[in-house]
Amino acid sequence: MTDSASRRDFLKGAGAAAAASTLPLSMVKLAFADPAQDFTFAYISDSHIQHIKGNEFVRNWDRGLIRAVAETNLLRPKPDFVMFGGDLAQLGTKAELDHGAEMLSKLNYETHMVMGEHDYYLDLGEYWSRLFGDQHYSFDHKGVHFVVLNSILTFDEWTHERWPTPEQRMLEMAALDNPNGSPFMVGEKQREWLRQDLEKVDKKTPLVVFSHSPIQKIYKGWNFWTDDAEEVQALLKPFDKATVIYGHVHQIQYNQIGNIAFHAVMATAWPWPYPESYAQAEQHMPVLTVPMNRADPFFERDATGWQFIDVATGRVAMDYNLYNNTNRRVAFDATKGHPVDTAYQAEADRIPPQDHY
Amino acid sequence: MNGFRIALLLTAGLTLAAGAMAGDADAPPLGLPPVPIPEANPQTPEKIALGDKLFDDKRFSSTGEVACATCHDPKKAFTDSPLQVSEGIEKDGKKLTGTRNAPTVVNAAYMTTQFWDGRSPSLEDQALHPPVNPVEMGLPSHEPILEIVRTDPEYVEAFKAVFGKTGDQITMDEVTKAIGAFERTKVSGDSPFDRYFYGGEKDALTDAQRRGFDLYVNKGRCVSCHVIEQTQAIFTDGRFHNVGVGINDIQDEIPTLAGEYIDAGITGEDVDIEVLGDKRSSELGRFAVTTSFDGLGAFKTPTLRNVAVTAPYMHDGSKKTLRDVVVHYNNGGVTNEGDPVNDFLSGGIRPLDLTEDEIDDLVAFMDALTSPEFAGLPKSLGLEEK
Amino acid sequence: MSKKLLVVACGIIAAVVMVSGLGLRADEFTKDDVDRYQDEFMSVVEKGRKLWGSGDLGTNGVACGQCHPNAANTHPETYPKFQKQLGRVIVFGEMMNWCLQQPLEGQPLALDDPDLIAMEAYARWERRGVALAPGKH
Repeated sequence: MTDSASRRDFLKGAGAAAAASTLPLSMVKLAFADPAQDFTFAYISDSHIQHIKGNEFVRNWDRGLIRAVAETNLLRPKPDFVMFGGDLAQLGTKAELDHGAEMLSKLNYETHMVMGEHDYYLDLGEYWSRLFGDQHYSFDHKGVHFVVLNSILTFDEWTHERWPTPEQRMLEMAALDNPNGSPFMVGEKQREWLRQDLEKVDKKTPLVVFSHSPIQKIYKGWNFWTDDAEEVQALLKPFDKATVIYGHVHQIQYNQIGNIAFHAVMATAWPWPYPESYAQAEQHMPVLTVPMNRADPFFERDATGWQFIDVATGRVAMDYNLYNNTNRRVAFDATKGHPVDTAYQAEADRIPPQDHY
Repeated sequence: MNGFRIALLLTAGLTLAAGAMAGDADAPPLGLPPVPIPEANPQTPEKIALGDKLFDDKRFSSTGEVACATCHDPKKAFTDSPLQVSEGIEKDGKKLTGTRNAPTVVNAAYMTTQFWDGRSPSLEDQALHPPVNPVEMGLPSHEPILEIVRTDPEYVEAFKAVFGKTGDQITMDEVTKAIGAFERTKVSGDSPFDRYFYGGEKDALTDAQRRGFDLYVNKGRCVSCHVIEQTQAIFTDGRFHNVGVGINDIQDEIPTLAGEYIDAGITGEDVDIEVLGDKRSSELGRFAVTTSFDGLGAFKTPTLRNVAVTAPYMHDGSKKTLRDVVVHYNNGGVTNEGDPVNDFLSGGIRPLDLTEDEIDDLVAFMDALTSPEFAGLPKSLGLEEK
Repeated sequence: MSKKLLVVACGIIAAVVMVSGLGLRADEFTKDDVDRYQDEFMSVVEKGRKLWGSGDLGTNGVACGQCHPNAANTHPETYPKFQKQLGRVIVFGEMMNWCLQQPLEGQPLALDDPDLIAMEAYARWERRGVALAPGKH
């Protein structure tokens, strides 16, 4: 191979892989049959803005959200809207929510919010609702029915009676590995709302559900868990094309359960270990998932990122935009009937950083 | 025996004798790993000598005044210090300038990509660009070079001896291979730091330099990008990072600039011409090569070996002294404390809270990375005379 | 009693005392001892667990447990190892110090500081049963 040829390939290689994430529609459209039905939206999640004192916030998490917003604003063609997937704040304080809202306000797009437990448990979402509106709702866009759930609720006793102060309650829910925590759920009341909402939707309409908790039971110790997952899944079962997009886990996960595809989104703040790296507990990580690359903790944005999602013919393809990492793309494979990592799904294609232990 | 052949043998002899600097295949200098040699381009003394001659040849420019050695001057540790950005051919009585500071050739052989934005995958490929860049050597194509090497008697003999090729068989492939082979001999280690850390010489560093070394690994946060390892140190991770140089000045323009750049569809060899010809494109950094978000304003980590004698610093030569550089990092990726930080700053950059003395110690440590053969060159530390 | 008789009597009593276990041999410890030692250890593990979740170790309120729930992804079984972030082979305590200084923006502790030892005890306890793998990246 001559040097000029290797250089052409070199530039092409570097460019093509990266271009897939900055020129979403032009490269993605080619892969799908009917361009007229395609649209994209961006997904930013888990910023965990953390107040220190006065006007000081943890710089690391601030930078994560700032960068996600700046890059999302660069997307061409523009996404139709942006979702924020929950846990804007770390301890749900007014200062944190305001600071986070200010950073989000720099987005040049319509934004819809999902509730996270770190936003909720200080004041049960009162200030959050004043800023952002309903805690669960639905909307339609270009023929797709979108539902936003507040899936981080828990038992009434834990929420209203167990803790002496709201601050204490927030702290108890904030620590991921806290044995005093309580499992997430959608709850009976909201499931009933969901049932009624979905009743009016044609079963052929593509359905996308946004949730903070996974609507699966993955690992209870870290609340990678929705206690009434089966009941919620049952409500989604009648639909031909259903996708659940969830936050909370701060890592790449994806799964297929029956007719429902599940996609986790990255945090902008920090990555979490995979449950299988906790030696003392059993967990049920989806086998399908090819893990994200292990982070170098020196680079504060390593293993963090944001996503943009292409909805083509009702199925979701998710591009994980990972800072200074190889981007990842998980798209629904119609022949296999489940999401597939377009580069690393086969065992033989894995690379050492994907080995978590 | 003609003059060139004598020179060839003398150079070969010198090359072998100066083993420590010349990167003897058996024993790299103290503190360095073996030099990576591509299979397609093995080292031979004759090839190295040919590369040296090509490196110095001013005829490979439109005015006959500019050679590789013009910007990569052996007498200046293979840079054109103290020029902020390099000067190429003269036009209308004035030397044309580019947008970037000439990196040193010394230890470039260890890099996995070449140029500040990594747009070349190898030393061989890198040598193709400056001859045809309008602000560097200004040739319309590589043809004039090939004309010379195919007809000049000394080159004819040398190419025949080294590659067994004559006339049209000689292509830019052979030319750049010889240059690459020559550049692979320009490696240097054995600095006071190397003698201290790898040679076990406890007295090789001064107290300030020892303190600086501790800061380098801990509070200064240098070691993750400017890599030092247990048995050798090349002082670079070969990756691209936005450290807030240059891009800070065009922060508000990034969205339009990035969009325009993509729209213009600049790819391949055109990138080289665009980034050296237009300052605002130059500040896009690695993005100009990959159009990937994490390339925005990102430049390759240079080696710190001999950094004290290769001023000025950063891709645009905007930092005059090493102290200016450390102050920039101490401020968390801005030149003046309190300046706005650009949105795409690398996750490894943040304010360091170094004291003035600690800054001086870090500078002192970087001075200790100078190899003996360059120790006599003027330094640009920025320390006050004490 | 004569002096001689007194000495012999003391000697017999001493021998009886030694044989009867009121003064145990150095190499003998009981199940109660082992349980007690384990409790002593677990008290330090518990202290480590609390420190692990404390926002007071650094200056920015960040706790180890925010990124390392149950001390996951710390890999104590791989130390000493070559640590990329420090450019040399280090022990587990040095890595914890790195975290104290970098993400937690605080000061390092002495390697024999009781708090650092407590956190190491906690991290290793949460990793019990995993085979040693020194040097593994």
